[in-house]
Amino acid sequence: MRSALWVLGILVFWEALALIKAQSVLFTGPSAIAAYIYSNASLLTRAGVATIHNAAWGFFWGTLSAVLLASIAMLLPRIERALSSLSLLVFCLPLVASGPILRVLFGPGEGPQITLAAMAVSYTTYLALLVGLRAIPQAWGDLLAIYGRGAWMMLLRIRAPASLPYLFVGLQIAAPAAILGAMIGEFTGAERGLGVLTLRAMRGLDVDATYALAILAATIALLAYGVIGWIARRTMGYAPVILLTPPKDNKPRLLWRQLLGLAALTLCVLLIWQVSMDAFGLNRFFAKRPVDVLAYFSQPDARATLFAAFLETLSMTVPGYLAGLLLGAGLAAVLMLVPAWSRGVMPVAVALRAVPIITTAPLIVLALGRGTTGTITIVAVMIFFPTLIACLQGLRQTPGQIVDVFNSYGAGRMRLLLTAQIPSMLPAFFASARMAVPAALLAVTTTEWLATGKGIGMLMALTASTSNYNMLWSCVALLSVAAVAAYALIAGIERLVLRVYATEQVR
Amino acid sequence: MKYSIKTTRRAFLQSAAALSATAAWPALKPAFAKENTAVNLQLSWLHSVQFGGSYIAKDKGYWKDLGLDVTLTQGGPNAPVEPPVVSGQAIMGISAADYAASAVAEGAPFKIIAVAMQKNPFAIASLTDNPVNTPADLVGKRIGMAVANTPVLKALCTLNNVDINEIEIVPTQYDPAPLVSGQVDCLLSWSTDLPVAMTMQGVDNTTMLLADYGYAVHSQTYIATTDTLANRRDQLVALLKGEIMGWNDYQDDTGAAAKLTVEMFPDAGLDLPTQELQASRQEELMFSELTKEYGFGWFTDETVAENIETLGLLGIDVSADLWDRSVLDEALS
Repeated sequence: MRSALWVLGILVFWEALALIKAQSVLFTGPSAIAAYIYSNASLLTRAGVATIHNAAWGFFWGTLSAVLLASIAMLLPRIERALSSLSLLVFCLPLVASGPILRVLFGPGEGPQITLAAMAVSYTTYLALLVGLRAIPQAWGDLLAIYGRGAWMMLLRIRAPASLPYLFVGLQIAAPAAILGAMIGEFTGAERGLGVLTLRAMRGLDVDATYALAILAATIALLAYGVIGWIARRTMGYAPVILLTPPKDNKPRLLWRQLLGLAALTLCVLLIWQVSMDAFGLNRFFAKRPVDVLAYFSQPDARATLFAAFLETLSMTVPGYLAGLLLGAGLAAVLMLVPAWSRGVMPVAVALRAVPIITTAPLIVLALGRGTTGTITIVAVMIFFPTLIACLQGLRQTPGQIVDVFNSYGAGRMRLLLTAQIPSMLPAFFASARMAVPAALLAVTTTEWLATGKGIGMLMALTASTSNYNMLWSCVALLSVAAVAAYALIAGIERLVLRVYATEQVR
Repeated sequence: MKYSIKTTRRAFLQSAAALSATAAWPALKPAFAKENTAVNLQLSWLHSVQFGGSYIAKDKGYWKDLGLDVTLTQGGPNAPVEPPVVSGQAIMGISAADYAASAVAEGAPFKIIAVAMQKNPFAIASLTDNPVNTPADLVGKRIGMAVANTPVLKALCTLNNVDINEIEIVPTQYDPAPLVSGQVDCLLSWSTDLPVAMTMQGVDNTTMLLADYGYAVHSQTYIATTDTLANRRDQLVALLKGEIMGWNDYQDDTGAAAKLTVEMFPDAGLDLPTQELQASRQEELMFSELTKEYGFGWFTDETVAENIETLGLLGIDVSADLWDRSVLDEALS
């Protein structure tokens, strides 16, 4: 009842604001948006169905590939590092580079939209799943070993059930991402969908339509989020248990072995890059091979342009990344202390993430200017949501027995949070910190491309008019290296911390 | 456990069979039709009356009668024209002289075989109470444009002896909002989209065509690869023939073209008044004394020379080899 009043209050305030600013063609109120939705109901329904259809297939394929990859990583722990790095690289691939290639491969139709939605989904789900598959008590593993069962049984009987809560969190994070992926996929020349309409509404200065589409996309994402949450609550009978894992001998990997691993990985990536392009017969005009990029990179002019743009992009990515991470983890902690707030905060948080960046980016830039503030805000918003969800789930993973002990000693909520809940949250937090690396880069480059016209995102977008695909693929290579480096840095910090707090996660 | 795996496998096989059955369906369809050659024409942007002539050609069956089954694939912000044309997925694409010249410099074997827009659609849009009517009016104004388009403004300034340093460039994306909200005094845009949108929203505006002040860059040009020109010439001729017939109909009745566009793409979110206004604005860019005399899509050595000069100002080095009129000659004869 109270929340309904709140919603009503906000709507009345918004409408009043719209009446005051009635002269402005750039602002609109709820009544005008409702009128637009009412009079274009059939158009919006058809577009919504098209986008949902593509997002759903993308969600399906993305989740399937995440589950397969995570299972392989568990069964063959030796190749886990390589597998994780490769999926990171695929996830990092900028849409400006992958879009035209997918369109040439698939031709007219839904292929690119579904593929881009699947790519937006699979990586985050994969990472969440990996954490979950490892969150098992040592004793259970030992028991299975005593019975002479191998890794396969371990995966099926112990790891899989233990990973369910993490899988559902991954799926909840993925739901809005799938919608966004499908909408951006429509930019590659799709005939119908919410993304196509959004594009036209923004160009046509049709503010009612822009807001209506943003609200529609957000509602769809919210529903998907809610349904997954509901299924999770219905199906999960798994309560968190104390994961007592003895500390491992902490010998760091030898330097030469690390370097060897890196070299092998680089070679592997270059080989896949070259061979996959050759195998599909992609024309060298737009699908540049490693040699082309290397040759282009050796030109001082090109290098200077590239690095200047890269620094500009980095100067907005890093603050936005840190702000989003702190905000997400901080809010999760606050919600643990004051659970009553979560009824109000959670819908807003989900809605913020669900409103697709392609419609919010121009609005945020309009409000905060074309400087750094707008871009940093967008990055923070994109990262804050997955971090919040993952951290909340991590905090809830605190074993009941430990909470009971704290309660029977009359310890306060603050004490419980600091000494029991936050340490249980750490694996989930670091997983989301790693997930956020490519998400931050994607958010920045997309904003630069669609709204601010700066940095490396702009440099890549220029390709459309200059056909300078050497520059585009050099940008792709540089972004990939940066993402892998940032990822490795965070993974290093994570290992140091989790060695103390969650040994089962450390390999 | 075993049983559940079995059922899953059976369900999987069933759905796989269903899938392959669906995949086989389109193959059955054309069995009763006359065998026409299927070709893709890659458009440069989202569907709108910008490509009205092509829609007429398809709707009236001009291509069908010429033995072609044409698919019009739309472009978009992340769907450049050049890759599908280079890779042969599209037989012909709609590009512009500057884009095509850049692509050729990067190794694409393109030729411009016809020119739909005789006049370049680039314009300076401003609000009527603070108008830009001539290049000289730009002095002291703030212009909103993508930084990437700076060479365009530079070329205009050079052609009209205006000092570019007297103009303040504000980087914006392709969006009328900064002009309407007063962040800038004018915008660099096409005369057929953002100004039309502003007019439809009741914002009084003025446009100044760059083409009227010496900026000569062929736009909405038809491009094809040298390989296609050599080996699939008949198809190109037929394709252009249909285009010419479609665009001639367009000129006779732009209103009908707008109506057809809205009807043909119910999912594109187009509205008729906007399309009608765009269609009539576009007409003056596409049809000139030259096309009246020789036909749609025409270009001459003189217009090519003007283009080479303007492209030079844009920093694009190009020779007259980029243009090849042989297909158009055949299509018009």
